[in-house]
Amino acid sequence: MKRISIDPITRLEGHGKIDIFLDDQGDVANAYFQIPELRGFEKFCVGRPAEDMPNLTDRICGVCPEAHHMAASKALDALWHVDPPPAAKKLRELFYSIFFATDHTTHFYALGAPDFIVGPDAPAAERNILGVINKVGMDVAGKVLKMRHDGHALIQMIGARRVQPNWGLPGGVSKGINEEQRKEIEKLGRDAIEFGLFSLQAFRDLVLANKAYVDLILSDTYTHHTYSMGMVDANNKVNFYDGKIRVVDPDGKEFVKYAPKDYLEVIAEHVEPWTYLKFPFLKKVGWKGLVDGKDSGVYKATPLSRLNASDGMTTPRAQEAYEEFYKTLGGKPVHQTLATHWARLVELLYAAERWVELATDPEITSPNFRTLPTEKPTEGVGSVEAPRGTLTHHYKTDERGILTEVNLIVGTTNNYAPIAMSCKKAAQNLIKKGQVNQGLLNMVEMAFRAYDPCFGCATHTLPGDMPLVVTLYAPDGEIVDVLSQNTP
Amino acid sequence: MTLTGGDLPRRTLVLGLGNPILSDDAVGLQVARCLKAELAGDPWVEVDEDFNGGLRLMERLAGYDRAVIIDAILSGAAPGTVHLLSAGSMPTQRTVCAHDVSLPTALAMGRRGGLSLPETAEIHVIAIEAADVMTFGEELTPAVAAAVPLAVQAARQALQGDAHA
Repeated sequence: MKRISIDPITRLEGHGKIDIFLDDQGDVANAYFQIPELRGFEKFCVGRPAEDMPNLTDRICGVCPEAHHMAASKALDALWHVDPPPAAKKLRELFYSIFFATDHTTHFYALGAPDFIVGPDAPAAERNILGVINKVGMDVAGKVLKMRHDGHALIQMIGARRVQPNWGLPGGVSKGINEEQRKEIEKLGRDAIEFGLFSLQAFRDLVLANKAYVDLILSDTYTHHTYSMGMVDANNKVNFYDGKIRVVDPDGKEFVKYAPKDYLEVIAEHVEPWTYLKFPFLKKVGWKGLVDGKDSGVYKATPLSRLNASDGMTTPRAQEAYEEFYKTLGGKPVHQTLATHWARLVELLYAAERWVELATDPEITSPNFRTLPTEKPTEGVGSVEAPRGTLTHHYKTDERGILTEVNLIVGTTNNYAPIAMSCKKAAQNLIKKGQVNQGLLNMVEMAFRAYDPCFGCATHTLPGDMPLVVTLYAPDGEIVDVLSQNTP
Repeated sequence: MTLTGGDLPRRTLVLGLGNPILSDDAVGLQVARCLKAELAGDPWVEVDEDFNGGLRLMERLAGYDRAVIIDAILSGAAPGTVHLLSAGSMPTQRTVCAHDVSLPTALAMGRRGGLSLPETAEIHVIAIEAADVMTFGEELTPAVAAAVPLAVQAARQALQGDAHA
């Protein structure tokens, strides 16, 4: 059996590899997605004050510190049995909406768009944001930079520190906003709505108008019928900040809706010998392997699954985009993984509209942004939707608030099983008779990039190697060939 | 002490990059802290710490004429080895954060977007070979800790225009 290795994966945070094993005919027999994990987080946290967690955990992810900060803040609310005042919740959700819009912008234009807008068969050197700029036009560079600049500036304004916020407290936040700040936030939010509409139109013009790309999206290569998970409000509409977590089955029927504190009753983890990763699955369905279907406990937690798990969006233009999405793709639920990029743009627009809604809420400048805890801490769970999936923080402390146990399920963790399945299926459908080229390998990588995964992205270390080294092994382990990005 | 080289002062950013809770990943931050005090009197030099690569790093460089970036690296060399690199020689897309846009790509995008950025040749990278960046901890491993003074000296030389990548 031969082995093709994509190691490490391009255009991702962190480190990982895909090992693809060929059979004697040169077809794919198996593919394994493996990544190293960061070590010792719980041990690092136990013995520390729980109030440190918003500032500690926002260093776990270099891309979405805001998500960890928010989940940690909510876990502290639960730990101390304190309900933040309405203004605090609105401020947190405002902050979070700004973060979501900014993060989705970055992913779409830097990570996802190159695959569609430039094309999966384009040379590697062009399959990046510069290729997108060349195709869409120079002004898109300025628009993306402005969106990022605005978002980061507001996150710093509200969250009290650049990049890693320093703001969440049990029972609320450490500071509010004044009217001058509110006006700035509203103005930039309206710009963000225009940017969201622009991005969706660009997707229509450049992707949906291209039959080859639409066929790619709809192809079986990138389709998996799994359960879908996402956070919803009381009316089952998408909410990134608060609500219950809803799971629908592959036919779109509600399977379970649970409060974050009950996550251990719903989700268990499966271990495989070939990876450090544990694969979360739905307990009541059971682990049946890395397979699709209603009888398999595998689920996805992505922008696509959030839309699948909901009954719609609460903001008008995002709701129109949501309806267009499902009408175009043949109804709910959608199981084509590459449609996740489109779902991400629907969410970007929703986040921008919610940003303006909250910025114009009469309570948003209220000075009542914290309720002091009065009870002793015990145990608390906080969940939010991270851009990459449902994020859960679970803390236990002694009565002084010193941590005794910590458990996190990060957004990408939910998707380990479907990511592995997507890589294998793409490899099986795209690599035949040992024929491998850069375009094909990139299309395998497209399968997991749609999940916008974060792997070990807390590390900042400079790399020393060229990525995308493909190693072909003969059945006896001998290296047959090595391909790299610079090899034609 | 003024360490800027050349006839005209240039706005210079000295930026230590890293994660303070991931063992050797913090070495860039440690080096920056050593430099902060000695460069405090120079109005043309700012010393700061940051946690990002790619697009966010590029955006942080906007408005400066020159930059010295200090970071950990994993290249297979012996832990504690101090490398002198240039932004133009950064080989990959795998810098963390901002969805893995490489620094050269990010710089190109920033320039197309109208940002005022240092010339690539004016961005010096001091990279210290790490042993462990995957274990949560607040201490550097011994060989990396021992390399901090060497990296500080390399940064001083870069600021004086003596660094050769």
